[in-house]
Amino acid sequence: MEIETQPRRRRSLVSLTPLIDVVFILLVFFMLATSFLDWRSIVMDLPGAGSTVAEESPALVVSIHADGALLLEGETVEPNGLARRLSEFMAADPDRQVIVRPDDSVNLQRITQVVEQLQAAGAVRMRLDRGGR
Amino acid sequence: MRMPETSRREPAENVIPLINIVFLLLIFFMLAGALTRPDVFDVEAPQTRSGRLAELPEDGVILLAADGRLAFAERQLNLDALQPEVADWLAADPHARLTLKADAAVSADRLLTVMDVLRDAGADRVTLLTNPADR
Repeated sequence: MEIETQPRRRRSLVSLTPLIDVVFILLVFFMLATSFLDWRSIVMDLPGAGSTVAEESPALVVSIHADGALLLEGETVEPNGLARRLSEFMAADPDRQVIVRPDDSVNLQRITQVVEQLQAAGAVRMRLDRGGR
Repeated sequence: MRMPETSRREPAENVIPLINIVFLLLIFFMLAGALTRPDVFDVEAPQTRSGRLAELPEDGVILLAADGRLAFAERQLNLDALQPEVADWLAADPHARLTLKADAAVSADRLLTVMDVLRDAGADRVTLLTNPADR
């Protein structure tokens, strides 16, 4: 009995090299053009807006001083105590507007830190206003 | 004279795994990353721990750099030119939401100046963009 010899593997006529080139170029394109940043958002009323509706209770004012001090309704609060103090106010009236008043030199990173604490305390309607100095 | 026979050798078979991996990387970058148009200038958004996840809007984004440069609709412009541009954009769709992508180092003074302009242009609220803080 004769054993069949295995058919010889033939080299494909199409060269792989251009394919690899193109795939590499595509890969480099997608690596450079895509971004992996994910985004969060904070919705804020603009200064001076939102006061057309008759308010049940006046807005709460949170001031941020340039030295980092936080004031709620004119009283100094501990950096970590803001959310607790504010949630007492928000429990009474959940729709109450909160006005954030940063000093002119306070940067946005600090403002968003404070706004986050306000959100944690249940504030929904927030706006920035000029604090002066 | 006899030349030594040059044998064109076939490339080793192991290019196939290489191609496989490159294809996988390609598919990963195509699916996992979001193709975005590069901004007019770089803005380092403030970092927050919480906040709602936002889909980056296509238009209506105002860029505000740390040094005070402004851009709207892929064009850099100055503060005086911003108001008519934003007013035009809002006139096309009054329910459209403006998005402010401001640098973390922007001062409150500059931020409020820009916000005043947006209010004068007819907007009543704005979405501030932030990045999640890495822990």
